[in-house]
Amino acid sequence: MTITANAQQQQKIDAYLDRLRRRLRGFDPSAVTEIVKELRSHILDKAAQSVNVTGYTNREPMPAAIDAALAALGSPEELADQYVTDNLLARAEFSRSPLWVLRSLFRWGSLSAVGFFVLLGSLVGYFFGVVFMLVAVAKLFHPQTAGWWKIPSGNGDFELSFRLGFGSVPAGGREILGWWIIPIGWLCGGALVMLTTYVAVWFVRQYRQTLMLPRR
Amino acid sequence: MKEPNVLDSTAADKWEVQLRKGCLELAILAALWDGPRYGLEILRRLEIDSALIVSEGTVYPLLSRLKALGMVSSEWVESDGGHPRKYYALTSDGKRKALEMATIWVRFSSSMSKLLAPLGKGD
Repeated sequence: MTITANAQQQQKIDAYLDRLRRRLRGFDPSAVTEIVKELRSHILDKAAQSVNVTGYTNREPMPAAIDAALAALGSPEELADQYVTDNLLARAEFSRSPLWVLRSLFRWGSLSAVGFFVLLGSLVGYFFGVVFMLVAVAKLFHPQTAGWWKIPSGNGDFELSFRLGFGSVPAGGREILGWWIIPIGWLCGGALVMLTTYVAVWFVRQYRQTLMLPRR
Repeated sequence: MKEPNVLDSTAADKWEVQLRKGCLELAILAALWDGPRYGLEILRRLEIDSALIVSEGTVYPLLSRLKALGMVSSEWVESDGGHPRKYYALTSDGKRKALEMATIWVRFSSSMSKLLAPLGKGD
């Protein structure tokens, strides 16, 4: 049975798919076209199925059948979230490269509050990981000033500071690790970056699970 | 006061949901075992053959992920419905993965069945 949607039904489908398309910004445009085309096909098939079941013989599906097909798909925003997180997980399966993960997290973070907080936490983790490694490298070029410093801040207090070695030796400061900052910086920095990636992917996987809503 | 050891209906529902989610990937691969299918056909197959009824929006992103992972391939085919349909088929990697998962599933469910057999007989 050939099935078509009239102008009003078509508008409903277009509005739904436009909302989905907006949430998929940043995706490869050809992938978005493919997703939209597949969902449009699904909506028409689903509506046609309802029409067949109810014995409705007109070529145009009933408005109610289109509404039901759209409702069964869930909100376009939630559907887009599933595409984004699934895409991220698929990439993470191939490569645990922090750059890939971070790039995907930026996309997710721009789409949902949960994604934003996972992105924020990941940025903090990656920042400290990179700082550790940068200080380890800087030590080679600025052996006197780069490193992890304990610097008095008055009233008997002190602060701990990672220094890349630019500028002079801080007054009253004492370097804590010396040359050990090189292996320790690389090890701790690398471990922190790996841990951040692992935790970020774990969060994405958990969130993705909550989006998979079985019908009863 | 509620007894702490009793699995109430809400907790049982949640547990069942987690169980269903856990086997959805295997179910989709299995639904494609005997030939290519499009999204709605896969959903119907899951409903009819496994009582695994999932929200329709869940299956398409998952198919997209399986495709990105090389487990399935896809092809657009013109339909008698007047619009093209995207058919999915298992790749050789997808078949291998489905067999691996099915083996684990059968082993696990068979050992669980042995363990659970006394429960079926009641107190």
